[in-house]
Amino acid sequence: MFPLTTTKPGEKVHICSLSCSMEEAKRLRELGCVEGICAAIVSNQSNVILQVGETKLAINGNLARTILVKTT
Amino acid sequence: MSREKTIALVGNPNTGKSTLFNGLTGLKQKIANYPGVTVERKVGYAKIGGEKYRIVDLPGSYSLNPKQIDERITYQVLAGTYEHEPAPDLIVVLVDASNLDRNLYLTSQVMDLGIPVIVVLSMIDVAQDRGINVDADRISKVLGVPVIPMVAKEEREVQKLRDYISGHKVDPPKPLQWSPSEPLQKAIETLINKWIKPNTNLPERVWTIEALRFIGDDQAINLINDIKKQHQLREIVEEARRLLEESGKNYAAEEVLSRYDYIEKCTSGSVTESSEKIETISDKIDAVVTHKIFGPIIFVMILLLMFQSIFSWAEPFMNLIDLLFIETGTWVSKTLPEGILNDLLVEGVIAGLGGVVIFLPQIMFLFFFISILEGTGYMARAAFVMDGFMTRIGLHGRSVVPLMSGFACAIPGIMATRTIENWRDRIITIMVLPFMACSARLPVYAIMIAAFIPNESFLGIFTLQGLTFFGLYFLGIVTAIIAARVMKQIIKSDIPSPFIMELPSYKMPKWSGVFYNVFDRGRVFVTEAGKIILGISIVLWFLASFPRMESQNNFVAEQSVENVNEYSPDQTEQQQASNKLRQSYAGQFGQFIEPVIKPLGFDWKIGIGLITSFAAREVMVGTLNTIYSVQHEGDEQMALREKLRSDVDSETGEPIYTVWTALSLMVFFALAMQCMSTIAIVKRETNSWKWPAVMFTYMTALAYICSMLVYQVGSAIS
Repeated sequence: MFPLTTTKPGEKVHICSLSCSMEEAKRLRELGCVEGICAAIVSNQSNVILQVGETKLAINGNLARTILVKTT
Repeated sequence: MSREKTIALVGNPNTGKSTLFNGLTGLKQKIANYPGVTVERKVGYAKIGGEKYRIVDLPGSYSLNPKQIDERITYQVLAGTYEHEPAPDLIVVLVDASNLDRNLYLTSQVMDLGIPVIVVLSMIDVAQDRGINVDADRISKVLGVPVIPMVAKEEREVQKLRDYISGHKVDPPKPLQWSPSEPLQKAIETLINKWIKPNTNLPERVWTIEALRFIGDDQAINLINDIKKQHQLREIVEEARRLLEESGKNYAAEEVLSRYDYIEKCTSGSVTESSEKIETISDKIDAVVTHKIFGPIIFVMILLLMFQSIFSWAEPFMNLIDLLFIETGTWVSKTLPEGILNDLLVEGVIAGLGGVVIFLPQIMFLFFFISILEGTGYMARAAFVMDGFMTRIGLHGRSVVPLMSGFACAIPGIMATRTIENWRDRIITIMVLPFMACSARLPVYAIMIAAFIPNESFLGIFTLQGLTFFGLYFLGIVTAIIAARVMKQIIKSDIPSPFIMELPSYKMPKWSGVFYNVFDRGRVFVTEAGKIILGISIVLWFLASFPRMESQNNFVAEQSVENVNEYSPDQTEQQQASNKLRQSYAGQFGQFIEPVIKPLGFDWKIGIGLITSFAAREVMVGTLNTIYSVQHEGDEQMALREKLRSDVDSETGEPIYTVWTALSLMVFFALAMQCMSTIAIVKRETNSWKWPAVMFTYMTALAYICSMLVYQVGSAIS
């Protein structure tokens, strides 16, 4: 597992763990960024843009650091 | 009397909720704020099958676990706990077909509320373009609620919803279809029995959702004000959470994960997706506009273009409005018999109205551009690109556009802060926005710099005058940044700043929506803020005109410049006006506050100017003109400049104005809250007098201290 910030654009990853605060994790899940789901990295330049299903989520870098993923 | 039925529109942001709302209600709608908060409340009426319905467009939300203040209102209304809005009789949930899972999450929560639900599947066209086909009938069967597919842009599509509502009786869906696990059910029961039943009077239908709010996160607990009660609730919640943890569940995730499990079952088989993932146009645009380097450059270019257009397009309209009101004023003053009524109409009412209407072109052009940026989906990208920098200075990515508008005028800028969703970020942006050097400060800076700053070159390429100008703009920006950082520490918020946002896909803006928005903003400004501005204008007119002098013929100078030569040279109207102003309440007040403003290097003449310039900052120059009886012949500024320089103290013979007086005055203008229109719009946008009062106090205090420092230190050095 590695933090979301270390991924490259175009990569496909599995979300493994949301190690951020409880509130932040809840928000992420509500927006579709749930543990176990597959997501694609659209861009990663200090802030990360993540494609989850049909939604594009822009995630601030500090938060992205706490999202642990693994490659598919 | 039978009450008309209420239909509430609920949905994620960007699902076409307002489009459907407009389609249902037409122009029969009322937009106002919810009492006490800056969240818009949209209510309209619609005739469906001969029956009149009240339609409420609730703030867009991702869930019923309210984080942001607008989501909290949505939850409270649906739960029936919001005092200003009863629970609806029917909920229409908008679900974005191109993003089904995420949208069904909110739907599954709404379905637990025991209120009849109709699902409207919006954006099926967008979904189809992306190769997603949704089987509405199947989803309807699995969920057990009616599902109506719709392209909200077309009128006949809205008719489908109307027909359904008038032709069917919709029952509340069966709650808890997502079948919570046993430990979660036990946890819910614990909370219901130990907290909700004994401590609240919520209707039974919302008990489960209310319990889930507490189990999921601490925020809902922190909202309980009574410390003792909060403590009691916390213990119950911890007991419930232990039940989950003992069976190896993550209490924060359990509800969300179970709901998503259920949703997945509903959509599997209902959605067919073409396997080939196409890179959409949205993706291609995003690759450029969210680029680390190109993104900010493109954003700044768009802003520059936007403000250049606002400036050059609004200018002719503003000149026209100005001319119109001056002409009307002249006409009225000539037509009506001289006297108080004439003066009140011309200098109070007409000038005051002119002061209101003059802002309209800028406001409407700014909102034209903002509506387009919002409508296309670019605004979210701009906020994303600027967020890093803005967060560092204590603001939000979305604060950029309002702050930049502040360089033209604070009024449209403050109105534009509506695009900032987070309440705290919005308040802080509003509170620091008037530090941006607006165009009304220019005339004051110009006259003072021309009169007192030597036109010497500095380091070869710069002039001292130019540097002073730059310094004043810079001072405003730096102060705004510092103030924002300080306020971030002071204004605590239970809502975490948005760290995550959705980037909606690009689309053409809906032009009817854009123009509706533009005219609505204009209307709101004129009717709401206009009242206050007009009122203060009349008060200021009164202060500057009374008590009246004995002498005859004392009407204001500007209106009869041509006739100056008919009077004897030492009895010009300008001097009459000057005497009139000196003896007025404003004049007396200026002299009264002289001891207070003395440490800043200001005398009573500037004191008068400080009071009258509250109508608009540039009035300062006009007031000084009047006081110094500057004749309107030749170069006005040149004449005033000379008068200011040569004014000497009658006792000591020293010049009254020095470089340090001028600098002190400019610093005061840069920092002080010298604008009633801003106060009025802050009142309107925050819905209370508290924030304008805080703004006036802290800005003016800051200005006072800084000006005093400049003057005292400066004078001591020289």
